[in-house]
Formats: sequence, structure tokens, C-alpha cells
Amino acid sequence: MINKKVALQVLNAALATGGDFAEIFLEETKSDTLNVDSGKTQPPSSALSYGAGIRILNKLQSVYGYTNDLSLKSLLKLANQLSASFSGEQTVFVEKIDKVRFAKKHKVTTTLSSVETKKKIDLLKKGDAVMRDYDARIVRTIAVLIMNNRNIEIFNSDGKHFHDNQERVRFVLQAIAMQPGAFETGFTGPGAHAGFDFVEGLDIEAEAREVADLAVRKLSAKDCPSGVMPVVIGNGFGGVIFHEACGHPLEASAVSKGLSPFAGKLGQKVAHESVTAIDDGTIPNAWGSNNIDDEGVATQRNVLIKDGILQNYLIDRFNGRRMNKESTGAGRRESYKYETTSRMSNTYIAAGKHTRDEVIGSVKLGLYAKKLGGGSVNPTTGDFNFAADEAYIIRDGKVCELVKGATLIGNGAEILTKIDMIANDLERAQGMCGAASGSIPTDVGQPTLRVSAITVGGQGGKLK
Amino acid sequence: MKTSKFFELAKLHGLDSCEVVISKNTSIDMNVYQGEVENYSVADSRVIYARGIFNGQMGFAVSEKDDKNTPEYLVKQILNSAGNSESDDISIIFEGSQKYKKRNMFNKKITEMSEEAKLNNLFLIEQKLRAFDPRISDVGAASYSESESQSELYNSFGLKLKEKDNHFYYYASVVIKDGEEVKTGYKVALFNNPDQFNIDKFVKEVAEDGLSKLGGKPCLSGKYPTLINQKVTASLLAAYLSSANAERVQKKSSLFIDKLGQKVASSKITVLDAPLTKNIFYTYFDDEGVAKFNKPVIEKGVLKTYFHNLSTAAKAGVEPTANGSNNGGKIGIRISNIILKPGRKSSEDLIANIKLGFHLTEVQGMHSGLNPTSGDFSLQASGFMIRDGKFAEPVNLVTISGNLQKLFLDVQAVANENELQLSSYTTSSILVKKLTVSGD
Repeated sequence: MINKKVALQVLNAALATGGDFAEIFLEETKSDTLNVDSGKTQPPSSALSYGAGIRILNKLQSVYGYTNDLSLKSLLKLANQLSASFSGEQTVFVEKIDKVRFAKKHKVTTTLSSVETKKKIDLLKKGDAVMRDYDARIVRTIAVLIMNNRNIEIFNSDGKHFHDNQERVRFVLQAIAMQPGAFETGFTGPGAHAGFDFVEGLDIEAEAREVADLAVRKLSAKDCPSGVMPVVIGNGFGGVIFHEACGHPLEASAVSKGLSPFAGKLGQKVAHESVTAIDDGTIPNAWGSNNIDDEGVATQRNVLIKDGILQNYLIDRFNGRRMNKESTGAGRRESYKYETTSRMSNTYIAAGKHTRDEVIGSVKLGLYAKKLGGGSVNPTTGDFNFAADEAYIIRDGKVCELVKGATLIGNGAEILTKIDMIANDLERAQGMCGAASGSIPTDVGQPTLRVSAITVGGQGGKLK
Repeated sequence: MKTSKFFELAKLHGLDSCEVVISKNTSIDMNVYQGEVENYSVADSRVIYARGIFNGQMGFAVSEKDDKNTPEYLVKQILNSAGNSESDDISIIFEGSQKYKKRNMFNKKITEMSEEAKLNNLFLIEQKLRAFDPRISDVGAASYSESESQSELYNSFGLKLKEKDNHFYYYASVVIKDGEEVKTGYKVALFNNPDQFNIDKFVKEVAEDGLSKLGGKPCLSGKYPTLINQKVTASLLAAYLSSANAERVQKKSSLFIDKLGQKVASSKITVLDAPLTKNIFYTYFDDEGVAKFNKPVIEKGVLKTYFHNLSTAAKAGVEPTANGSNNGGKIGIRISNIILKPGRKSSEDLIANIKLGFHLTEVQGMHSGLNPTSGDFSLQASGFMIRDGKFAEPVNLVTISGNLQKLFLDVQAVANENELQLSSYTTSSILVKKLTVSGD
């Protein structure tokens, strides 16, 4: 988007007042969305995001700015405006820039743009029709194909130039069921860092049936009971518990300032010995994977907790300075409009030894939260909440009636010590994670697991 | 971009009518940590939204890139978008309202204030917070953010509308440590006049937000008469009013289907859509160019109108309500600058006769624990107990659950002190007869 000569000029202008590191991040992202709403194709939308962000670091200070105008004049103006924050002499000089080559791990066989719109719409219509025909109580169906081609370039004062193209696709199905006095929804949204091949590999009809079926079944579900109880959390999206309760507080943005319950606890036991947790940005074609992070650092497989002992944090370059630690390739951002910070990629709890049936069978009276919805956490206190999208009562080790409206709340540090039985059915699921550097694609994941006690909120009174 | 070039090309390619909105934003953010400027950022961005009608279907395009190829790019995207659409929405580009109530909300005082003065305020906030109470172990952030936006709308009927405004906010957060216990407190203060900002008041509010939570524990589960504070009332009201979004009503996914003229809340509840209110959320035209106007939405508990854009209004055969909203090119519906009409008594008076009750001051997980279609919710919450008519010990990590419709029908009183929230809602505390709280 700019050439090396321009980059050199801008980087040196940025460093003119004594900054010790400068970086230019350039982005051109094309986002296309196709949407079929109750059988009818809505006007497809397309958006072109385009701009550059310049960052200057000076010890523990950072300045950042962005613009849509990528001309030399505009970039120099921004660099000068930012460097005015410092008042020293230039100490770092950039004389040459070399392109950094790295392995491209996320193969795209059929690019999204190479497939004609009609073919994509036909797939959406297929899913939409299955949901609509499933039951007369389905009143609205939505099928959406989200496509994203993100082209990024990074130039920095280490004399390095990175270029990457990231193609992502997500296929979303939603069904809304209604009967007098009740509205319920079913949802699925598989996605990948991949091209159209990913969509072709999906069993759309099966996904659509499952979504419609859940919405309809929830109509006659009773309200979830409330109180403190043992809870079995299902695999896949159940991993949002770890994401919220432990992933966010392990980010350097909170840890570097001591604003996390996990700060200063490396090498200490922070979880039950059955818990091993990993953030892996290298998994081929996974939704939260990248070849490099948004600072040009290669992504890693980062073991955060091993057998209950805290091993590492999620670290970006800037927060790493305060911690005297190298980046773990966790510097991410939604777009050039955000300064990078430490974020998750694909974060999951590793598989255990038990079977799913053994885990459920161990609970006399409790809740089976098979599918979780979203949640949130205060990373300083660790207090979190998340909603169950599909939950059942467990009686004498058997899955019994479906209940609706369950919310699980707790404290991250505490819950980690209560995850005490883990099955062998690890799965990952896709989500969007929002934080200081915007909304980014991340995978959550876990096997089916048991939490010995957690507070459940619902309208259904005491569990009997 | 030269809009004339775009209109020319659009005509050439057979677009019946079209519109361009150019939105520009500049902002400055600064953050102070431990007596040093930690972050400083500036932004200058623009985005072009274009829409047009082709063969009766609306098409959209959005671009942040603005070069000589942009007009052609936009027209091609619009043709592709409209050409693939089977929507039965009625496509309208607006000819213009008869009258617009334009008011200048741009405040020069913000831009005139020096950066040094803004930074000094932040240093002062941090110092004062650290000195406020020994249990304040850290000031996580003290930041200032300033933003200036401009929006211009042009369409092929010759409509030209322009709006420019600016605002700023201060944000600070504290970490409170007392033994093993850790709590956080924060506050955001949003204004468009620097004279309105009072540092000492702000510092006190940030510190007390954190300190008041110390000792917070789950309370006993039960159904309590509950006073809901202004902030949580605003969140719950916003979730409830989303059911009055005409698009959701017409697509059969709303609690308010067939509810016009019916009771949807207690007779104590009157809600106004008040976009012309003189505050930082003031705006005089919506994203389709329709003139904004103030109107009742719920009057003494009765639903008076849905929120419409041009397409949903035409479908329903009613006048547009000027709630059209550009969501990345596509026109949706926005509900903002809502006022809940205050009652007569203060919060203290409202709780005076409550022997045992709950004061709800914070909820978390609105995006996941609340089903906007059914109104069912189960949310992480915190607050205080009410004992013998007085606010008592703090409560933390409980859930509240219920249904929005039942909750608003159950409102016994609205307090008299109202406050503009960050969400643009101006709300007062409300008292509900019973709310299910799950704790120990």
C-alpha cells in the first residue's frame, strides 16, 4: 500500500524526537455479507476498510494515530503530530527495511471472491428452507454468510516489513420460534480462517435442523432453577467459561499493571491439577489463527496452565516492556483504528481422561449446560457471567428435562479450582471477542467438564 | 469525493435515485498512568456510505478509500447489491422534510482548551484519587477523550444536510484492596462544555463507586422489592424498547406485536423519544434525511408508536418517525435520546417504607443473559440491601432474573432525580414490587 522509501521517511520522522520504536500498520479489508431473511435475499452489503496507523513507543509510553489518507504528505503529518509528544533527540535511525518471509499455514483452495454470489446465496437458502420447514412455530429464519479479506502490511523501526493476507468466512444460522407467551431462538455460527472450501465442507442441513429444533424445544422448556449447584459444561462453546474467567485476566494489559488476580503467580498452582489450558494461534485454518500477529510477531502455541500450574501470560510488545518479557505473538487489533494490545487467539482447556457419560454420570443433582451463549468478565476482580443457550437438569447421573434462561456467575480464580473432572471430547467453537483493541475473531474450546459448585441464576426457584 | 461525479455515474448506470453520506471524525485520546502520559492517540477518518435504487431494489456500498476510482467502485457495488436482492422492503430515497429544527451543537471551547490543560486535569485526577483513601491501591486509568464528527448527506433529489458536533469525556478507574479483597470502581463523565466538568466531584464518584463495594457478598436468595438505579434502568429500558423497533415487529420477532394502544408498562411509566433535546446526543435529521421530532413512545404505560425508518413506515402506512439508522450501509432503526419522565419522590423517600429490599446498581452480561425477543433475563448483578427504609450492606455476585415486560408492568414508582446516561437515555431510578435475586 506504500513503498519502502515512503515507509523509511515516515518511520524516521516518527523517531525524530527520541522514540525508541516506531511502526506503521496498513490495512485494506473487504467485508462482504450475504443475508437471507425468512427465505428472501436481502441486499448484499460490502464495505471497504482502508487506512494506516502509526505507533511510536518510548520506554513505557505509547502514542498512536490513524488516517485514511495514505499519501506521504498525510503520513508525515501524522508522524510529526505524534512525535511532538516527545522532546528528545533521535536515537534510533532506520536505514533499510527488509521483507520478512514466514510460512503461510492457512491454506485457501477456493478464494471467497472467486465463487459467484448466486452459489453462495443458494447455500444460505438451503439452510434457511430447512429451518423454516422444520416446524410451524418457526416465525423467522436468518442465514448469513460473512466474508472477510484482510490485507495487512507492517513496517517497523527494527527494519522489518511484513505482509499477510487473511481470509475468513463464517456461516451463521438463526431461527426464532414463537408460541403465545414465548419466543425462543436457536443459533449456530461456524467459521474459519479459510476460503470457500470451509463452507463447502459444512453439513448445512444438519446444522439448520439442529438450530430449528433447539428453538422449538425451548418453547416448552421450564425456567432454570437457581442456587449453587454442580454444573457439567458441554464441550465446544462451553470454553467461553475459560475465555472469560481466565483468558482475559491472563492478558498482559491487565497483568503488567498488577490489575489481574493472576499477576505475580507464574509457577504457582492456580487451578485444579486436572486443568491444562492452551492459547494456540497456529492451528491451521482455525478462526482465531494467524501467521503473524498485528505487530508482525509469529503466533505461538502458548501453554498458559499445565496440570494446574500457571506457565505463561498472553503478551504483546508494549505490555511486555513493563513485564520484561518478550511478546508471545498475542498483539491483535480489530483494524488500523485500534492500537494493538494482548489478546487471545484459539484458547482451550485440553482433553482429560474421562468420557462424557462418566462426567455427567458423576452428578446426582445439578445442571448440564450443554451449549453456552456469551458472557463477560471484570479482569481485575475476575467476576464473570455467562448464559446457557441449552441446559438440562441432571438427576442421578442422567440428563433430564430442558430448562431455559440459565446464567452462570462466579469468580475466575475460584472457578479454576473447582473444575475437577474433564472428559476426552475436546472441541472448539467460534466467537467474536470485544476488548480495548476492538472486536476480533477468537476460538474458545474445551471438553465436557464438571464444576463442583457454581451459582446458577434463573426464574425457576430452588432445584429439586 | 466529488459527489457530482458519483451522481453522474449512477444516472448513467440506470440507478433511479441515490444518496451519499460522507461522515468524518477526528479524535484525541490521552491516558495517564503513575504520573506519566502512557498513551496518546489521534485519529482522522472518513467513511463514505452510498445507496441507490435499481429495478425497485435498494443497493448499498461503503468505502473508507477515497480516490479517483471511488465513485465507480460505489456504483458497481450498489448495482451488485440491488441486483442480488429479493427484499420486499419498500425502497425509498427521501425527497426531504418540510422543516428541519437545526441547532448548532458545536462547542468551540473544547477545541480552544490546550492539550496541556487537559493533561494537567488527568494528572490531578490521578493524584487526588490516590490521596482519596489508603485502600485505593492503584488508579488503573485516568483518561481524556475528545471527538469531533461531521456528517453530510446528499441525494439525487437535491437534498443537502449537514451536521457537526463535538464532545469529550473523562474516564477513571480505581483498584481497591482491603486485605485479600479486590474491587474496582469507575466513572465516565461525558460533556460538550468544559465548564461543566468538576474534578473533585468526579474523583469522589470514581472512588466511592469502588469503596462502596467493599465487603460485598451474595445475599440470601429471594424475591425483594427493588429500587433499580438510573444506570441499570437505562439498560433495561433500552432492551425493552428494542421491541418497539418496527422492523422487528414486522418480521415477527418482537414482544410488541399488536401492542399499539395497549398497556406495555405500569401507568407510572411515560417515555419520550426526544432527539431534539439540547444535549450531546442532539441530532436534527436521521440517516435517511428525515427531520427529527420529539414524541411520546409510552404514555402512562400505553404504547403510542413504534420506531420507524422510511421503509417500515411505508409498509405500516404511517408517517416516518425519523429513526432511520445507517448500519454499515444498510438502513436499520436507531432508538436514542430517550427520556423516562421522572416521578415526584426522591429515591430515599421511595424506600422509606421498605423493611427488607434490594437496591440494584449494576448488571453485567446484558448481551448474553437477556433474550431481547422474549424479554426473559438472568443477569449477574450487584447492589446493596435495603433494611428498615435505609440503604445497607453491599451485595455482590448475585443474579437477577425475570421478564422485561413483567418488570415494567410491575413498576410502582419512578424517582424524581434524572440523569443523562452514556447510552443517551435520560432515566430516573424505578421501584419494582418484586425482583427475583439468586445468591446464597
